[in-house]
Amino acid sequence: MSAWRERASRFLFPEDSGTWLTVLRIGLGVHVALYALSLRPDWNDLLSRSGSGLLGSALSEGILSEESPFIPRMGWFIDAGARLGVSESAVLTVTWICLLTAGGALAAGLFSRPAAILAWLLHLCAAKSGGFLNYGVDRFMTMGLFYLMLSPLPDRRSLDHRWRGQPLGDPELLGFFRRVLQVHLCAIYLFGGLDKSLGRGWWNGDNLWRALTRPPFDQIAPELLVRFKVLFPIAGIAIVVFETGYPVFIWLKKTRRLWLICIVGMHLGIGLMMGMHLFALVMIVLNAAAFGPAPRHTVAAEGLDDRAGGGLARGGLPASGSGVDSA
Amino acid sequence: MRRKSLYTAGFFLHFLLVVTVACRETIWVVARKLTILPPSVESIAADVEPAVEAALGRHLDPSNPVRRGLSTYWHLAGNEGGYGYFAPNVPSSFKLVFELHYPDGRVDSVLPRVSSPAAGLRVAGLLDEIGRTRYEPLREYMIRSLADATWREHPDAVTVRAVFGSIQLPTISEFEQGKKESYHFIFAYDFSRAE
Repeated sequence: MSAWRERASRFLFPEDSGTWLTVLRIGLGVHVALYALSLRPDWNDLLSRSGSGLLGSALSEGILSEESPFIPRMGWFIDAGARLGVSESAVLTVTWICLLTAGGALAAGLFSRPAAILAWLLHLCAAKSGGFLNYGVDRFMTMGLFYLMLSPLPDRRSLDHRWRGQPLGDPELLGFFRRVLQVHLCAIYLFGGLDKSLGRGWWNGDNLWRALTRPPFDQIAPELLVRFKVLFPIAGIAIVVFETGYPVFIWLKKTRRLWLICIVGMHLGIGLMMGMHLFALVMIVLNAAAFGPAPRHTVAAEGLDDRAGGGLARGGLPASGSGVDSA
Repeated sequence: MRRKSLYTAGFFLHFLLVVTVACRETIWVVARKLTILPPSVESIAADVEPAVEAALGRHLDPSNPVRRGLSTYWHLAGNEGGYGYFAPNVPSSFKLVFELHYPDGRVDSVLPRVSSPAAGLRVAGLLDEIGRTRYEPLREYMIRSLADATWREHPDAVTVRAVFGSIQLPTISEFEQGKKESYHFIFAYDFSRAE
């Protein structure tokens, strides 16, 4: 029992330099800023409750209240603003400015923890009040910001540490939160790949064709796509294999880099060929933070070089004799 | 040591929820015969589904604190659903067209309009949601909200007819034979100023 505990502890609490946290913070900071900028022209229309918007947040927030009154929503700020005599439009504009500012602060590493909490809260409020207007990117942003907010900020490259002299987090906790992100990504791809493998269309290329020709993802003319029809079954099967195999091959030293490149390539393809740029970016950021290699000089300089039995391998992951990156 | 134990317990509880929620979605699609799995597996999934729902507190009253607590947590953490995007199959897409009728008899057709491509992706998701919704009042409410938004941009129109349909995409071989996407009417709503 104690040997099992020891192994679990070595797996869950490896010492980590925190480079992954820098990647996550900067990546999500940039992502939050781009998210806010991309929605600026429609922000008030998407989130207005007064009926002047597209769908109005009243319906989403009503359904949300049935689920739980404690789930954050934009209505909380709008109600608070109304008590102070501030219009809904002004409140929404201020929340947008705060979200953009939080994204910028995160990218710079200034007031990292408050910025992470603010970005998580405001994005969550927007996503929940937007309700029916959400898609995958919102869930992955919530997930990434949730973990970032809980992680031991600030990181080594943040302005909080460099300028303001704030102490760094515990290396074991840094390792723990990286493990959480890693395991969650494995669950995401395992179930994503498993669910795809159950559809015939992913084995014969039909689903890939449909995904690329389905409005509004039809960024490339079907006349051009059909010239590459022989590749569709191969690419469809490859996506299933990359995703389902992720929880295994991303941990093996020999295949980690290849798998990471394949997954990042898949997301780049989704971004470029389907116009889902923000979705692609958030997935690439999460993958780079979770499994991206730490520069060798960083690991050495930080005194956390490769060690047998629970130390750091080049990827910031624990070394093991078997080549499998687990305790 | 105590701190590590707390973090470890949190880790296992968190991922128990993540995996259970993801399993629920997989079991849901299998139970509804949307996969290539044989009928025997589909019936097993249908049998297992209530147990998974119960594990997630779905059988509890909506006001039950455990159900609300679980629901709040997975919304806060971004874990409220599974990860089967475009799985097991890519669904049809939907199209909503507003026919604007003017006093002089003129009729204009317009689509729901947003200002940015980022919002355009979200509207497409909304149309998918409308297409999947079986609850008629909710569907009408959503269509009416979109019609109202369109109406504000065309205040001279006296009536609006909202026509909702699905777009059937050709397969690769059908496309090669010259078949194009086709539009299938599903339902329509008429709205007038008096309503």
